Amino acid sequence: MDVARGLDDQPGGTTDDEAARGTRLDCAFAHASEAEFARILDFYQVGWEYEPTVFPILWDLEGNVLESFAPDFYLPDLDLFIELTTLQQRLVRKKNRKVRRLRELYPGLRIKLFYARDFRALMLKYGRAALVSELSGTLGQVIQRQEATDSGEPEDRLDGLDRSRGLENGSDPAAPGSSTEPGPRHERRSRAARRRALRRSAAASAHAPAT
Amino acid sequence: MKPSHDLTLDIAEVLLTEQQIEAKVAELGQQIQADYAGHEITLVSVLKGSLPFMADLMRRINLPLRIDLMEVSSYGGTSTESSGLVRILKDLSAPIDGRDVLLVEDIIDTGLTLNYLLRYLRGKNPRSIKVCALLDKPARRLVEIPLDYVGFEIPDAFVVGYGLDFAEVYRNLRFVGVLRPEAYES
Repeated sequence: MDVARGLDDQPGGTTDDEAARGTRLDCAFAHASEAEFARILDFYQVGWEYEPTVFPILWDLEGNVLESFAPDFYLPDLDLFIELTTLQQRLVRKKNRKVRRLRELYPGLRIKLFYARDFRALMLKYGRAALVSELSGTLGQVIQRQEATDSGEPEDRLDGLDRSRGLENGSDPAAPGSSTEPGPRHERRSRAARRRALRRSAAASAHAPAT
Repeated sequence: MKPSHDLTLDIAEVLLTEQQIEAKVAELGQQIQADYAGHEITLVSVLKGSLPFMADLMRRINLPLRIDLMEVSSYGGTSTESSGLVRILKDLSAPIDGRDVLLVEDIIDTGLTLNYLLRYLRGKNPRSIKVCALLDKPARRLVEIPLDYVGFEIPDAFVVGYGLDFAEVYRNLRFVGVLRPEAYES
């Protein structure tokens, strides 16, 4: 199975291996908790790469990738991928499903999910509990939706951005007076439904006989 | 929130009693004594949390041994400055090359500190190096490191006592307990 090197697709990414590895705090992280996690790894001198690999996890019948997953970190010395899930709790189930799928498709791959409670415990351990609310959930988002879209980030990340930042209703949570609450329930549902419909359509196209 | 004058009031649950700890330390001491029979070992304690454990463990090992102490900076440390690298705040006072070293730790959770320490100590060419941890919290592990001696595997909770602190408090409790969230959430 082909996996894609994702660095070119990341905001501020580079194909330079040296630049991709460790102590690279100018890296454009999608979430503040990821930047904090990278600082912790740097502090303890554990080498890391940020989203170096995009793993396809769902294809249509023609072999086109419908869904992919890019774990947040790869620790080359430990041969371990780490996915941080400090976004809203409702996204965790989806990430769990993706990680399960990843493990099924790539059985030799070692990946650890780092949940919000793990991150919180880590911050508590390092006496930085006060930062947790700033670094997790919606407040931790640091990139703009357009950048994410342009970057070709995996759908998973875009889902998180869309829903947690309330961008479905067009609001920018960074703007004064804007709400960080997600859009109305029916809007979320219709967006998900549209996405499912697109997938079905793509799959159907793959089945359709040539005319 | 300030800690209570009676520290036990901040404890939600006693996880390991003084008696349980004492019995386990004795058991670990016996095991280490048997494994290192005929050898002279150097116990290296990592300050500050493992101090009570080290003090009790060394008295349960009837072998010629040396002790040494190390201290490494912790991420975040006492300031809000989060940049920089881990530093050795207190290094070994004697060389360990050619010696059998047993690193004595209070608790292993992420394994990040232990990973760093082992790399550092291996660079000093000991004959062998093993790890003895009183508490193991595997749910938090990031760096998988085999532990040679483990006292207790504990659940994923914030624990204090018997050397373990929160904001430098609670180390003097004679048991290991789960800290009430109110004690650290405010």
